[in-house]
Amino acid sequence: MENTPLITKRKLSVRWLFDMARRDSRKNRSRLLLFISAIIFGIAALVAIYSFRYNLQKDVDSQAATLIGADLMVQGSHPPDASIKPLLDSLGGSKSEERSFPSMVYFPVSKGTRLVQVRALKGQYPYYGSLETEPVQAGQSFRSRKAALVDKVLALQFNVHVNDSVKVGEVTFLVAGILDKAPGQTGISSGVAPVVYIPLQYLEQTGLQKKGSRINYSYYYKLDKSVNVLKLVKSIEPKLDKAEMNIETIESRKESTGRSFGDLTRFLSLVGFIALLLGCVGVASAIHIYIREKIASIAIMRCLGVKASEAFLIYLIQIIGIGIIGSVIGAALGTVIQNVLPMVMKDFLPLMISTDISWLAIGQGVLLGIIISVLFALLPLISIRNISPLNTLRINYDEVNLVRDPLRWLVYLLIIGFIITFTYFQLDSWMASVFFTIGIAIAFLILAFTAWLLMRLMRAFIKSTWGYLFRQGFANLYRPNNQTIILITSIGLSTAFICTLFFIQNILMAQVKLSSSGNQSNMILFDIQTSQQKGLAELTKQQHLPVIQQVPIVAVRLIKINGKTEADVKKDTSIKIPVRAFTWEYRVTYRDSLSATEKLLKGNWVGKAGDAKEIPVSIEDNFSRRNNVHVGDHLVFNVQGVQMPAIVSSVRQVNWNKIQTNFQIVFPTGVLEDAPQFHVLLTHVPSAKVSARYQQAVVRQFPNVSIIDLGLVLNVIDGLLDKIGYVIRFMSAFSIITGVVVLIASVRISKYQRIQESVLLRTLGASRKQIFTITALEYLFLGMLSALTGIVIAAGGSWLLARFSFEIPFNIDVLPAIVLFVIISVLTVVIGLLNSRGVLNRPPLEILRGN
Amino acid sequence: MHKLKISSITLLILVLAACGGKKTQPAGDTTANTTKTDSNTTEKTILFFGDSLTAGYGLDDPSQAYPGVVQNKIDSAKLPYKMVNAGVSGETTAGGKARIGWILRQKIDVFVLELGANDGLRGIPATETAKNLQDIVDAVKAKYPNAKLVLLGMQVPPNMGATYANSFKDVFPQLASKNNMTFMPFLLKDVGGVPKLNQKDGIHPTAGGARIVGNNVWRVLREVLVK
Repeated sequence: MENTPLITKRKLSVRWLFDMARRDSRKNRSRLLLFISAIIFGIAALVAIYSFRYNLQKDVDSQAATLIGADLMVQGSHPPDASIKPLLDSLGGSKSEERSFPSMVYFPVSKGTRLVQVRALKGQYPYYGSLETEPVQAGQSFRSRKAALVDKVLALQFNVHVNDSVKVGEVTFLVAGILDKAPGQTGISSGVAPVVYIPLQYLEQTGLQKKGSRINYSYYYKLDKSVNVLKLVKSIEPKLDKAEMNIETIESRKESTGRSFGDLTRFLSLVGFIALLLGCVGVASAIHIYIREKIASIAIMRCLGVKASEAFLIYLIQIIGIGIIGSVIGAALGTVIQNVLPMVMKDFLPLMISTDISWLAIGQGVLLGIIISVLFALLPLISIRNISPLNTLRINYDEVNLVRDPLRWLVYLLIIGFIITFTYFQLDSWMASVFFTIGIAIAFLILAFTAWLLMRLMRAFIKSTWGYLFRQGFANLYRPNNQTIILITSIGLSTAFICTLFFIQNILMAQVKLSSSGNQSNMILFDIQTSQQKGLAELTKQQHLPVIQQVPIVAVRLIKINGKTEADVKKDTSIKIPVRAFTWEYRVTYRDSLSATEKLLKGNWVGKAGDAKEIPVSIEDNFSRRNNVHVGDHLVFNVQGVQMPAIVSSVRQVNWNKIQTNFQIVFPTGVLEDAPQFHVLLTHVPSAKVSARYQQAVVRQFPNVSIIDLGLVLNVIDGLLDKIGYVIRFMSAFSIITGVVVLIASVRISKYQRIQESVLLRTLGASRKQIFTITALEYLFLGMLSALTGIVIAAGGSWLLARFSFEIPFNIDVLPAIVLFVIISVLTVVIGLLNSRGVLNRPPLEILRGN
Repeated sequence: MHKLKISSITLLILVLAACGGKKTQPAGDTTANTTKTDSNTTEKTILFFGDSLTAGYGLDDPSQAYPGVVQNKIDSAKLPYKMVNAGVSGETTAGGKARIGWILRQKIDVFVLELGANDGLRGIPATETAKNLQDIVDAVKAKYPNAKLVLLGMQVPPNMGATYANSFKDVFPQLASKNNMTFMPFLLKDVGGVPKLNQKDGIHPTAGGARIVGNNVWRVLREVLVK
């Protein structure tokens, strides 16, 4: 400020500054209201989305807690010895103990014997969720009596009812209840054998716990809320490792349950980030235009002797005031929406959304509103400092070279730093924050460049031969006082956000659908011998169940990769083949075509082995990368004593997310038909009743066939996936709607930009229709171009997100993109026309005076 | 790769269930390769037909499994036998019955049968196990009537319940006497139930455990080979 000539030394009166800020705002309250409303919408969107996000994340987390039923589980296959016992006893607030093991139990009522998973329980486990039983109280009451809970399918299979009995080892227990659903039943083991719960105090009497018994010892803990589980796990894990005990937390179980939880968290982070930017767009575009309009007032004040620093401060104070008012109202509105919406939509929601007021969201919203207001006001405001009053009066503010002002760069830096910081709050990772911010900067630059290019092209292409209306409409895009850059960037960014959410939502939902069972298989039968496979398939069909898949499986080992054996690899570490490639036992299949979940990446699929010496096999992508084996490489398999040379003919990508048999290596038909093999059959049973009936029939006819019933496991997981899918849809729908609102608000603030010209045109004799066409053309062009650019940016952004953040295959639906394009274009035109409605409908003079 | 994904339960399950454990790591090895290739014409073949215990599931090197230990003993005793390890992890007696034809394409002089553990862990009725084992023995007898037969007996852990455990245990001596087989009552003698000698899953011997098993088997087998 040292180059501003000081006329008189005058003390800065803070009070006067505030007075001026207030007085200035009085001039046109309705206009001010319009700007504040843009801020309100931006912040309301942000607060509502943040609040929903925090609440939904909490809801899903509490649901996820039922995956394990406790905060912490410690598990081992030996009884804990003296060195570890004190540690186990010292952990946690409440503790439960469970010993589980497979055993043959006997049901006297039907004289049936069956392998089950016995779970002997002591304590109040589960702490999250409950043992859902019929009758309800049995889940609690069996613990204090000589009573048991029997899995539903098992009960149906053996015609067992409440108050019948079950013999576990030497003890006969009363069946207190039929078990419908239990927390922690998500492991595969629970599918192999149905569960029978007994109280731990009777285990000794059963005589099943003896030397040589294979028993799993589990300890469940409910920890105080104050305990940092992650830290605790880190501190005790080495000791437990040494004692050969595993530790599991809700977090780790979530991870192992599938990628959906991670996807959800990442998606919610993305939504949070987009909400942040929507807030920024809403606030920044309002402030930007507001200050620009104030330049004239500032010039007059400067001429009347107001110092540059004073003018600067007056408007800074005003902006902070506007920012505070807008943000607080916005935060309140956002909170109201977040509280009222779930109530209104109660009947349509499959999930209870808690409506806790999130002070974190509100705090972030208000802070963000104020900071963004100030930062974006600073950009035009700091330029005032360097301009002499006369210069200001001429309003050639646009032409002053601002690039040279170092402060301007400081402001840019501040804005970037600010966005990175707030992004960090949403993403929890500095790296990701930096990348996301860079992404946004690039999107912004693309849009700004598009706008600049448009202006250049328009100037060059408009010909005087065009009709007046066309010329006028297009010329508006580049003439002084144009709104091309500001509108293209704000519409373009909003479109990009909306569209990105839409794309990512679709991609994620496809994943969730893949993971949830739906009509997928939920029962796996294996160890089916070749002689049995026809009969079993027939039996399955007789029971009106689908044979979803039936595949032969052959166990093979790899003995040579490109001539190198295990011994060679062990000797020479420079060979890039892991030893594991040879010690691994591969379960392969043979077939003549790719399955629906496979995609050919490289090479050619060969379905039938020819007369060639080497068998053409197909390998899976991960296998290829892990073992450094590629198309054209030579392998030698050992198929149970018979050496078979093979050549890699293709590399496949396999979707492992589906419950079905997938293979690392697939042989063509015509080679392994005679090799020792067994078959696997996948089917879908609709209910526990059908499952029981089917299992009974299978066991009677094919006693050697083993059955894994994933019904119970999938019930728990499907419930969760449904909720995750629902949360994703809800959040994206809500964010998209708020995005549209913010977009409308930011177009709406351009209202006063064109009024003066339109009125002048009207005064000069332009007809209503002419002004209508000129305005419509300008906005249509702006809308279309920014929507198109936004969608292209969204496509690129979604691809990057899918590839690097979510790590899922990317695909785009063209139709929604086109629909979005049309909607945004039409919306822009409609709002643009609404903006000039006043000019169109009323006589010019009235408006000239009124303004 | 090692993550246990419920949504991607694939073949993993088969292997898991087959081993009766909860480990997420695929099962061991299918080995039927001859350990010695420089065979001369007088060398006779001793075939170990079994499951993961024979295949050496979870061991760094399949030759650490008990058949490998036996082979070492044979070599030091300078007996003209070469061992063929035909163990397949997770195999049941039904699987063995289906596989035996493929295996019998090579000439066999001594047939060592070690199957049934997986039947027991899956609770397959003992009568079923007995029937399948008998079929396997019949197949060997039909193809190589002069082959000497050895049966390695199995037991299930006590947690399976006494009734079942007893009926299962009885299958083996009955089968042995009926077919006039050399019989070892319990393969995992001195090893089963001893945590130190078993892998983390509690059923598969470590290399140390396998050595003890190998020595025990050798004691029984020596009689057959030197006869």
